[in-house]
Amino acid sequence: MNKIRRQYLPFMRAGVQTMITYRMNFLGFVVGGLIYCFVMYYLWKAVFLSSGGETFMGFSMTDMVVFLFLSNVTGELTFSSVSNDIGEEIKDGSIAMRLIKPVNTDLSYLAAELGGAFLRLVILALPMMVGLEIYRYCVFGTVILNPLHLLFYLLSVILAYLISFRVNLCFGFVAFYVKNLWGIGILKNSIINFLSGSLIPLAFMPGWLRTTLEYMPFASMSYTPVMIYMGKYDMNEILFRLAIQAVWAVLIYGLSKLIWVGAVKKLCVQGG
Amino acid sequence: MRRAFKIYRILVAQNLKRIMEYKADFLTGAVSFLIDQAIGIAFIFIIFSQIPHLAGFTFEQIVFIYGFSQIPKGLDHLLADNLWSVGYFIVRKGDFDKYLTRPINPLFHVIAETFQIDAVGELVVGIGLMIYAAPNAGLYITPVSVLLFILVIPFATLIYTSIKIATAAFAFWIKSSGFIIQMVYGMNEFAKYPTTIYSTVIKTFVTYIIPFAFTGFYPALYFLTGENPLFHIGGVVLISVIFLTISLWIWKKGLSAYESAGS
Repeated sequence: MNKIRRQYLPFMRAGVQTMITYRMNFLGFVVGGLIYCFVMYYLWKAVFLSSGGETFMGFSMTDMVVFLFLSNVTGELTFSSVSNDIGEEIKDGSIAMRLIKPVNTDLSYLAAELGGAFLRLVILALPMMVGLEIYRYCVFGTVILNPLHLLFYLLSVILAYLISFRVNLCFGFVAFYVKNLWGIGILKNSIINFLSGSLIPLAFMPGWLRTTLEYMPFASMSYTPVMIYMGKYDMNEILFRLAIQAVWAVLIYGLSKLIWVGAVKKLCVQGG
Repeated sequence: MRRAFKIYRILVAQNLKRIMEYKADFLTGAVSFLIDQAIGIAFIFIIFSQIPHLAGFTFEQIVFIYGFSQIPKGLDHLLADNLWSVGYFIVRKGDFDKYLTRPINPLFHVIAETFQIDAVGELVVGIGLMIYAAPNAGLYITPVSVLLFILVIPFATLIYTSIKIATAAFAFWIKSSGFIIQMVYGMNEFAKYPTTIYSTVIKTFVTYIIPFAFTGFYPALYFLTGENPLFHIGGVVLISVIFLTISLWIWKKGLSAYESAGS
């Protein structure tokens, strides 16, 4: 245990330092995400006005606000830039330096990311969640959040993060074949946003699509924790969804290992 | 001017050669932006499966506005993508020296250097959506409106490029301004939908301060209704000229403040 700490703590410290150094870039992405939330907020407001009803497919406007901002928070918490990091290292050849170190390659990436994830939790996610609860308190006049839901939400977010990390790792390996990382990043984000239900609640999709997506790994990356937090699932369903998340976390772990073994053999560093 | 065209042609040809060399990269980029757009449309489609109209606009009209807004965005992406690199790392790494040592205008050189073919994804979707929506959107088609359509697109594109020039130029003072471009550019999201759905503050903001509404909703509204061409089309021309002037001034100030990086 002590050995593990000694080996990976420097990676984690480096991760925190990277984030502090590039804090302004991080701020840019946070503000970008918030602008997006506000556009969506007004769009949904117009949708509610046009539909004339109090609820839209089972969601009230308050639900929608919580959904939008909580999806954003969950997105920040499960954010992983490992696809880009590993892609850049493959492109410039510095991955060779990582491979010769006597540490586990994936774990060294994970450690670096956890440092950043912790900072995001403290400076971003917690204040936004407090803000959301104040908003709900103002609307309903009472505290809505069930502490049990919060607890399961955090558990679900951890599973979501592990899946997100592995999915991103798999996307990063694509850099062994294609060098256009920017394009891959756009593709990855738009596919995940849509399939994970963070763009539009899966509950709004046609029945067959909804059922399919709910069992795919993408829903586990954002929709499941958000629905748990909002109290849309009862206790049985929460446990069932957490189990699905756990199964995907294991499967994606296996997949990323498999790809890694294949990809490393193909590694071809250009220049360097 | 002739010399500039010649240089531009040579630089673009170089870019195209590189694209031909890395065909998989080009396909990845174009397909990525195409899918990104398709998902935006799927979103509108799902909303409209439940409501007949949004803020008084039909499905086809919203699709037309969305499609139109992608054309200036895509053109700017195609022609002036390198400004992002100026903001994110060219200045920070000291690589901007290169542009200052050549006998052509540095801004022209920066812009001409990259021909971002990924933008084909946005342009194809934008044009496709407008063609799809045209028969049922109740377009206002007269010889004048067709002429204005062709005229307004370069000006709307200039609004995008001007905003990027101004925000990228901040890097000359603070070394890295990528996050400023990111924040300001991100507001183009507001251009895709009718500004009537926003609060007055946001509406004023995206009309006069960061005027992305003039790259999408306002001109598109003219082609839908034929109303108020002076504001909807004239506004685009006026605002783009004003913003280009301001951004060129900021760029020039920035250039004289530029100090190369240490190592």
